[in-house]
Amino acid sequence: MSTDVRTESLDPVDLTIVNNALLNICREMGVTMMRTAFSPIFNEGLDFSCVLFDRHGNMIGQAEFCPAQLAASLFIVRWTVDELGVDSFEPGDVVLYNDPYRGGAHIPEHSVIRPVFYGEELFGFVANVGHLAEIGGKAVGSFAADATEVFQEGLRIPPVKIVKRDENDMELWQLIMANHRTPRNTWGDLNAQIGSLRVAERSLIRLLDRYGRDFIERAAGQLLDYSERWMRSEIAAIPDGSYEFGQAMEDDGVLAEPVWFHVTVTVDGDGLVVDWTGTDLQVRGPINATYGVTAGAVYNAIFHVTEQNIPKNSGAYRPISIIAPPGSAVNVSYPGPSVGGNTETHPKLADMVVSALAPALPDRVSAAEGGSACNFLFGGFHPKTGEYYANYHLEGGGWGAKSYGDGNDAVIVKNGNCRNTPVEIFETCYPLRVLEYSLMHDSGGSGMHRGGLGTRRHFLVTQGAEVTVNALLDRTKEGFGAWGLEGGGPGGRAAILVKRQGESEFRTFSEAFGSVSASKFTNIVLWSGDEVIIESPGGGGYGDPLMRDRALVEEDVFEGFVSAQAAREVYGWGSPEDG
Amino acid sequence: MGEWETIRRDVWETVVTPCTCCGQVVARRLWRTEVEGEALRFCGPDCEELYRTYVLPRRARLESGGR
Ligand SMILES: [Zn+2]
Repeated sequence: MSTDVRTESLDPVDLTIVNNALLNICREMGVTMMRTAFSPIFNEGLDFSCVLFDRHGNMIGQAEFCPAQLAASLFIVRWTVDELGVDSFEPGDVVLYNDPYRGGAHIPEHSVIRPVFYGEELFGFVANVGHLAEIGGKAVGSFAADATEVFQEGLRIPPVKIVKRDENDMELWQLIMANHRTPRNTWGDLNAQIGSLRVAERSLIRLLDRYGRDFIERAAGQLLDYSERWMRSEIAAIPDGSYEFGQAMEDDGVLAEPVWFHVTVTVDGDGLVVDWTGTDLQVRGPINATYGVTAGAVYNAIFHVTEQNIPKNSGAYRPISIIAPPGSAVNVSYPGPSVGGNTETHPKLADMVVSALAPALPDRVSAAEGGSACNFLFGGFHPKTGEYYANYHLEGGGWGAKSYGDGNDAVIVKNGNCRNTPVEIFETCYPLRVLEYSLMHDSGGSGMHRGGLGTRRHFLVTQGAEVTVNALLDRTKEGFGAWGLEGGGPGGRAAILVKRQGESEFRTFSEAFGSVSASKFTNIVLWSGDEVIIESPGGGGYGDPLMRDRALVEEDVFEGFVSAQAAREVYGWGSPEDG
Repeated sequence: MGEWETIRRDVWETVVTPCTCCGQVVARRLWRTEVEGEALRFCGPDCEELYRTYVLPRRARLESGGR
């Protein structure tokens, strides 16, 4: 009896080689992007993600990029190919788009997608999702914290071919760049994205040359099934049942009212349904999540509580169903704004799913993280160069304490995987000096395991500069800190404060400039000598703080992570048991 | 039994339709079907299945005061 070679199972060594080859093509794309992009958000911050797809729209390769972008790319590529029609792609084409209502995480994120042909036949697609630092709209840096419609958030681009058979459509390029404040960076950054696709295409074709198309397709297909089986076995180990969690965000940037989110996670055998019914209708301000953000948060959460070595391809996502009611704060409808949904709402949605599962998976969960990227955007004419600049700056915060250890300090929110921009780069590029950058004591939620610490950064606007600033932070109000679990305390709150030249005290931007929200505002002009402090939120704690290992409490006090007063009052340090 | 329907949009219609059940974008083809006498549009047969096996029973439980 003959064996059908197309269905014959490949051995684990072959599968591992192909999986790693696909992963490495994505990494190679990332290095290309990092080294050729113009803006610090890419070459320092790494706010982009590179992925490979087969021709049926299955993700077959990804690497250690931003979780929200990786998840969104599942929808971005499949829906774009559906919408345009697979037959519309020709060799050398590149489709560009950033429409948040078509799978994207938020409007600054621009996806470029290129088909890869092997011989005459389509093999699949390579894609790169990157956050352009400036795309027009009402606020410099295109993070309009008080936007009420997508039109204020920047230039919205449906799926269009910006490159046709390796020829730039220059009229389209000109139209786009005419609507951005820093067109030279748009040119450099988008070309870096497109260049990374060409590198990936070459590497993929080399791989197909080496192993043969049939072998690679078989391996990719079997890897999808392998990931699905593994994820199903992880889910099957969770006790069946419905698990719920609810929480509120402090405001939407337009109205000073909290916004309610609710999730029900239903585990049924080897599949699960994550249902957001019960969440508020979409709000006027830009903290609404797109479908891509909400789905990304769900996947992010599930990957946090399952085995980390499951190959992250479309197969791993198959057992998870998501219900995100259209027109709600977890699935914004046109023309609702959504720029803050990716950075501020995603981490909370992910933490909600994790916390809902706490009764079922007590050993695998963590308390909530700080959950605000502390988006700070600024721009103006640089006094030294006379050129217009714009920058998107984000801060790391504390992560939630785990059931088995302390939360990490000063890490970017879990929708991203972005690096900290070094102070030296920052001061070289922009007319702001960093006077302080430090961990904040007592900002980690108390607990047997302590929440991670938030940070404080203190800027000074330098001589001769005028800087227009926007901010979109969350978790600044009492009662809205990152929640703890199992008796752990909440994380410290975020803040953004200003001191005008000649003043002696820092104040909120609401007090100084009259913005509706103290944490979300746009287009405020600062002058040389003005100072800004950004404090990022801390993570929630896990377990009763009185149960914390005394040696760890002492170490925290010694390192300055916890004040002696808090150690005494919250952790019971110095009590008779401490001798 | 449902059937696939290709979506036709005028050039000035710049927004894509979401699925009634899960909220995903339906980019080109929608799954038109009838459930309990109600005409509904889904992203595909899998979502119709999710609607029948999860959404309707859950809605019934909530209406009868359960969880
Ligand atoms: Zn659906």
